Amino acid sequence: MTKITKKMKSGLSDKVFYICITVIAAATLLITLYPLYFIVIASISNSNMVNQGLVTLVPKGVNFYGFNKILERTDLWTGYRNTIFYTIAGTLLNLVVTLPAAYVLAQSRFKARRLIMTLFIITMYFSGGMVPTYMLVSSLRLTNTSAVMIIMGAVSVYNLIIARTFFENSIPAELHEAAELDGCSHFKYFMFIILPLSKAVISVITLYYAVGHWNDFFTALLYLNRDEYQPLQTVLRNILISNQAMAGTTGVGEGSYAQQYADQIKFAVIIVSTVPVLCIYPFIQKYFEKGVMIGAVKG
Amino acid sequence: MKKKKWLALTLVGCIMTGCFAGCNNDTINKNGVESGVSPSTNNEGSGENVKLSALISKHSLTKDLNEMEWLNILEEDNGVAVEWQQITADWDQKKSVMFASGDIPDILVKATSTTDFATYYGLFEDFKPYIDASEMPNIAKMFEEHPELRALCTDENGAIYGLPNYRSIWPRTNRVLYINQTWLDNLGLQLPTTMDELEEVMIAFRDGDPNGNGSTTDEIPLDFSGFPTFMLACFGVPLMNESDGYYVEDGTVKNYRVDERYKTFMIWLQKLYSQGLINEEVITQDYSKFQSLARGEGTTALVGVTLGWESGDRFGTEVADQYVPLPALKPHEDSNESEVYWGYYYDNNSVSVATVAMSAKCINKAAAVKFIDAFYADEIGIQVLFGGMNDVDNCIRNNGDGTYTVLPPADASIDAGTWKWTNSFADYSPFYIPDDMIDRLTMGEDMQRVLLERESLEATLDMMEETCESYPAKFINYTADDNSNLAMTQANIKNTVDQTYATWLTDSTRNIEEEWDAYVQSVYDIGLSKNLEIRQNAYEKYKETLE
Amino acid sequence: MGRKRLSALKKDWQLWLMILPALAYIIIFCYGPMYGVQLAFRRYDFSKGITGGDWVGLQYFIQYFDSPMFWTTLRNTFVISFFTLVCGFPAPIILALVINSLKQKKLKRVVQTAVYMPYFISTVVLVAILQILLSPTTGVVSNLLKNIHLVPQSINLLGNSSAFVPVYVLSGVWQSAGWNSIIFIAALSSVDSQLYDAAKVDGASRLKQVIHVELPALVPTIVILLIMNIGRVLSVGFEKVFLMQNDLNLAVSEVISTYVFNIGVQSGQFSFGSAVGLFNTIINFVFLIAANTISRKTADISLV
Repeated sequence: MTKITKKMKSGLSDKVFYICITVIAAATLLITLYPLYFIVIASISNSNMVNQGLVTLVPKGVNFYGFNKILERTDLWTGYRNTIFYTIAGTLLNLVVTLPAAYVLAQSRFKARRLIMTLFIITMYFSGGMVPTYMLVSSLRLTNTSAVMIIMGAVSVYNLIIARTFFENSIPAELHEAAELDGCSHFKYFMFIILPLSKAVISVITLYYAVGHWNDFFTALLYLNRDEYQPLQTVLRNILISNQAMAGTTGVGEGSYAQQYADQIKFAVIIVSTVPVLCIYPFIQKYFEKGVMIGAVKG
Repeated sequence: MKKKKWLALTLVGCIMTGCFAGCNNDTINKNGVESGVSPSTNNEGSGENVKLSALISKHSLTKDLNEMEWLNILEEDNGVAVEWQQITADWDQKKSVMFASGDIPDILVKATSTTDFATYYGLFEDFKPYIDASEMPNIAKMFEEHPELRALCTDENGAIYGLPNYRSIWPRTNRVLYINQTWLDNLGLQLPTTMDELEEVMIAFRDGDPNGNGSTTDEIPLDFSGFPTFMLACFGVPLMNESDGYYVEDGTVKNYRVDERYKTFMIWLQKLYSQGLINEEVITQDYSKFQSLARGEGTTALVGVTLGWESGDRFGTEVADQYVPLPALKPHEDSNESEVYWGYYYDNNSVSVATVAMSAKCINKAAAVKFIDAFYADEIGIQVLFGGMNDVDNCIRNNGDGTYTVLPPADASIDAGTWKWTNSFADYSPFYIPDDMIDRLTMGEDMQRVLLERESLEATLDMMEETCESYPAKFINYTADDNSNLAMTQANIKNTVDQTYATWLTDSTRNIEEEWDAYVQSVYDIGLSKNLEIRQNAYEKYKETLE
Repeated sequence: MGRKRLSALKKDWQLWLMILPALAYIIIFCYGPMYGVQLAFRRYDFSKGITGGDWVGLQYFIQYFDSPMFWTTLRNTFVISFFTLVCGFPAPIILALVINSLKQKKLKRVVQTAVYMPYFISTVVLVAILQILLSPTTGVVSNLLKNIHLVPQSINLLGNSSAFVPVYVLSGVWQSAGWNSIIFIAALSSVDSQLYDAAKVDGASRLKQVIHVELPALVPTIVILLIMNIGRVLSVGFEKVFLMQNDLNLAVSEVISTYVFNIGVQSGQFSFGSAVGLFNTIINFVFLIAANTISRKTADISLV
């Protein structure tokens, strides 16, 4: 076959490929977006109409009751402040602790590698339980402090493994040999070569940890008593959960008060709690661009 | 690209500004002390208020306790300054950790259950010595007027760890069967007097477009949530203070899920469902939808017959006036009227157990005990339930002559129920509302309606008090082992009966008559025998203590 | 010889220092409370503390195995997990490959941001949306599916027991496929462009490039994640199942976590809960080791 027909043939199959890809992407977009769009219109619609399925493409019975009720709570703003603080400080700690450890475990000649890795993995499965952990935290005087929100979960073995996998597979071994020849210590190598080349995985880990902190209400539930330390999720969860208490019992006159309240608010809650996080992703996206590895090994 | 970044930055900026604005609204504790004081320090007799720590598991509608003026006054009057920890969600999870580690505040309101006192033996303070030593006069008075309450909270060793509450003003049943009178009028029908007539009326609802909107498919003749226990009672099961399906008849504890009358009722329900008279989604819809359907679409009602607490609450303001309450309907024209019952729940409605408890490690016990006792005072009890009786709270008016009036909500956009739940501790809290309060307290418009709508059921309920045996489930305590066994067996029983109920109801190909015996046997095998045995023993033991 | 040893040791102490914080954390916070595991073998007695209760051996385990719901809940949990893995694991990979292949940068960004948003919807609201959209009478999505004959006309998607697992799994895929694809997208961005060039020179079409360049680059990540997911086989979350449960689908929707909740909620059954938890963990661990061993033998990729 001549070169030109070969090119034409591959050109055609590529065109088909791209059309398929675009169709799949468009369909995915539609399926993903409709329920999200639904949440937005439901948050400003009359909840009775929403529950009866009358709200499909446009909001009906428009009211801002949900948003008003949420935004007028002062503890919401305290919650935001606390969560932002916990997320930033916590994620920084996470990165400082996890990334070097992942690097170490990626070194095949580190003698204790298998042992330590096993130690880490065991903790993913076996745990002493909520009560012994609480008693430990209590004995360390960490209960009721903002420090507990930052320290708990400092190491996620799952994220550690992801980072280690990256370091093992995406950084060529030749780089290390070259650095060693230049007399580079582990510290220097890690700080000045590995980290700049690992922007992609660092972004991913940062995102995972940050969102983990953002969504965390359980740590606050167990270890925090003071209202002023409560994170955003606690405040919002209190609102959301109220509708479960009412289901199908011979309720002693509680009627539907909380149900109505919760219904009007629950969609607005989602919007209030996720808008900030959605702002972060655009900043991180650019680290997923290609070409991070160019020029690293050349020469 | 740049636009996106700016948008994101602006949003973040707004949030941060909002945060810092919110931060400047730190509430300063009423005694001028910043919230953040550590628990109980002993400074009695120094003229300062005694500091106590407390925890309340409150409803999410309830506002910040520091803003409840009646509570502030109560603390001030009793010489205490209480730091409240307010939990609104997931208390069960936090509770197990807090209790197991022994790390609890001085006072716990609405946060304990009787099993906790057995499980965490030693964690809570015994109130008995204080009551006997006249340090808790209000509670002593309550026990004097209602000795069954004392028996209720005293455990097998004679100790009292959790105090109950009592309110005389609540109705004896918490559900009424409503029917849409407007629909009846539109179709020229009479109010049904038997279940058979109800069935005919519902068929007319299904076919006749009674809500007049041109469509015959949007009306739902009958809707309910879960199992319509109240209607079962009409078929002859004497449900007097039934609990989890258990009731007493002829001195024996029984479970209606294996009773012949339940079979008759299920056959009838299955027939209704197959005729399209029951909401197709009755089993699968969530509580939100169940509520919303009854509220109709604007002024068009969608539901014909349903159970509810009170018409305004159940149907919303637009369609509530279309509904009227029904009495307990006898199944057929020739049914024995003395065997037509209704769900009688006086015990549940009037008494809650373990409403308040105290830590054994509390330093200022005398002050704590006095403060707890203050909740049970005559004028305080109604405030705990309905909200403050002062110029700031404006929930109750003191008429000066020993009578009180519950005021309508100061915020006209809120209904009375929500208002109550916002401004007070409401149900399950420590209070004593004595029997004479029925005459002295004029309740709000919604509660008036509640009582009014139950008038047609009064005769049935009176009859039950004469002829039926009550199952005092609320008052019976079990050992830790028994509790454990009951929990295990009940989970298994529930699984079987719930599944069978749902399939029998919705699948008309299932022959209930044929499957009945095998079903009953399977329920007994899966744990009902054991469960009934435990309950029967406890019931008989309890009856002995009463004599 | 001595110099080499010395420099080797010198290198190693740096590594030890770098791993020290993480090690310290798990020793204190994970291994510290580990003694609590024995609660599954002891009869909990508050006055004696966690470790003071009477030793009862396997009593609670036997009680669990003997309970009538044991096999049902185990089977239900396993079925849900299995289908979650089968449907939920490939979806993010395919999504990542699709996104990565898009040419227009703008579309790429939009799709990427859109697909990860569902992850932030809390379970309570997700189930509420399912209830509304899948209602047999008024649900938009339910009606749509019936109109295009994807599902039978009379089916109640919320109650039918054969619909429960598909609805649970597919809504889960909808919610987390985008989020889970992030890591694959990141991995793809690290693929050396030289490999692409080499493939183009060989005349590979775009599709072939995906199969021969991108997929192999993802293999280590895929295998590691697969192993870790297999190691979670009995960890079906409580909240979503609990909210989606109703009397009609109970036969398939009662899982271990909801069953324990039903039993434990009334009476603080610590020891029983611990025993069930420990049993789950051991099963998960066994699966993990099995998956890891297979992976090590066949692909030489291992967690340790």
